[in-house]
Amino acid sequence: MRMPRGSGRIVLVALLAALALALADVGLFDVGRLGRGVRNLGEFLRALFPPDPSTLPTLAEAMLETIEIAFVGTALGSLLAVPLALLASPILFGPAVTGPVKLLLAAIRTVPSLFWAIVFVVVVGLGPAAGALAIALYSLGYLGKLLYETFDGVDPEVVEAVWSVGASRAQLARYAILPEAANGILAQLLFMFEYNVRASSILGFVGAGGIGFYLIGYLELLRYDLLLTGLLLTLAVVILIDRVSALVRRTFLFPVSPPAPGE
Amino acid sequence: MGDPALRVRDASFSYARSHPVLRGVSFHALAAEVTMILGASGSGKTTLLKLVKGLLPPRTGEVSVLGARVSAPRRGRLDPRVAYIPQQLGLVRSLSALDNTVVGALSRIGTLPSLMRIPPEPELRHARELLGRLGIAHKADEPVQELSGGERQRVAIARALMQRPRVILADEFISDLDPLTSAEIMSLMREATAEGAAVVMTTHEMDVVREHADHVVVLRGGAVSLDVRGAPEAALIAQALRA
Repeated sequence: MRMPRGSGRIVLVALLAALALALADVGLFDVGRLGRGVRNLGEFLRALFPPDPSTLPTLAEAMLETIEIAFVGTALGSLLAVPLALLASPILFGPAVTGPVKLLLAAIRTVPSLFWAIVFVVVVGLGPAAGALAIALYSLGYLGKLLYETFDGVDPEVVEAVWSVGASRAQLARYAILPEAANGILAQLLFMFEYNVRASSILGFVGAGGIGFYLIGYLELLRYDLLLTGLLLTLAVVILIDRVSALVRRTFLFPVSPPAPGE
Repeated sequence: MGDPALRVRDASFSYARSHPVLRGVSFHALAAEVTMILGASGSGKTTLLKLVKGLLPPRTGEVSVLGARVSAPRRGRLDPRVAYIPQQLGLVRSLSALDNTVVGALSRIGTLPSLMRIPPEPELRHARELLGRLGIAHKADEPVQELSGGERQRVAIARALMQRPRVILADEFISDLDPLTSAEIMSLMREATAEGAAVVMTTHEMDVVREHADHVVVLRGGAVSLDVRGAPEAALIAQALRA
């Protein structure tokens, strides 16, 4: 709908005023501070280069642990997310079931992974176990939502056809929803794993294992050259995982062919 | 003349906030007969089949199939004796022709074998026999998305027959098929009626109506404008469609 010119102008002016107030409030109108910031940025960039490769073996080992945390966390999270997403799907259940399950998933999603990591460090102690459990719970919240939305997108005609044969809910899930949503499920799992590798790389900040422990250490010691080595290693691994994911997609996703003649 | 397999009495239906799709529809279909429902696009043919299957509840009126009133449970089990073949067939693309056929037997298979997707051997054997009867035994293990249109149609029929149906509801499922395949598919439907099933199908194909209809119901604007036994003259149908 096209907004009337007069009220449109008022909204625009109000938005600009709100932006100006917010900028002032966060200190971005402080010219002296911004000038110092530019000088600090120059010093920071000088300190970053060249990256120091001497700690690469240590960082590689920590990176492997980060990938393990992401892998275990994604696997555990998805094991729980699939049944919960089915319970949250209106194709299978009424609002009395889907409502509480969606609320639970939303509540889990509200908490950042770093906070879950602190919780699990308290529960199981320092180390990658806490990280893996934090990532599992975090993945559960997100994957649960992504999956039930994927299930909702299943062709309703397929659902009706399988339901029509007298199938139970469990049979409908196994023979219609899961196979029809297989492409979407795999795509979401791969996305979650890629995301979790990045998320796991900061869990070490709170002692939950992985490369983050070293990154925060280099940051505190002002060893930005070592920090850059860690960041470049993380970038390389993320790119590698992206390539591997593309390969997995090409290999395992079933092609969606156009309807055959007569359809 | 066979027994009434299904009866629709004064059924009306409308989707939320829209015009009524069906208005006071009444007709009955007999066992061992092919009833063809004709009508322009939007005349309510698909909705009528869904009412009979129990996928939608009539707003008013009553639908009974095989002597029992059809209720449309929101998520409960539907009567497996009534097979339903939707317009796009509703086959699971990533499953093989055999698995899609086995789907028709789900009401007889327990939860655990279903979840493990290991159906009992007799059901598997029966599914293979059906695919053989329909001439596609050699395609049993291929994903249905790799089959031709005619082959997919046969898989959908095999799934329906796997239900041991007393009523088969088919929604425009021979539209756009070549005449030879269409004739083959109709002869399969004839075999089902020979075994006592009532076939109720929607179609636009006048040639199919002329050759295979035992009973014709024409819908116009959601109401029955013609209900005759036998295959009526094309002119009569055309008049009913315009009426």
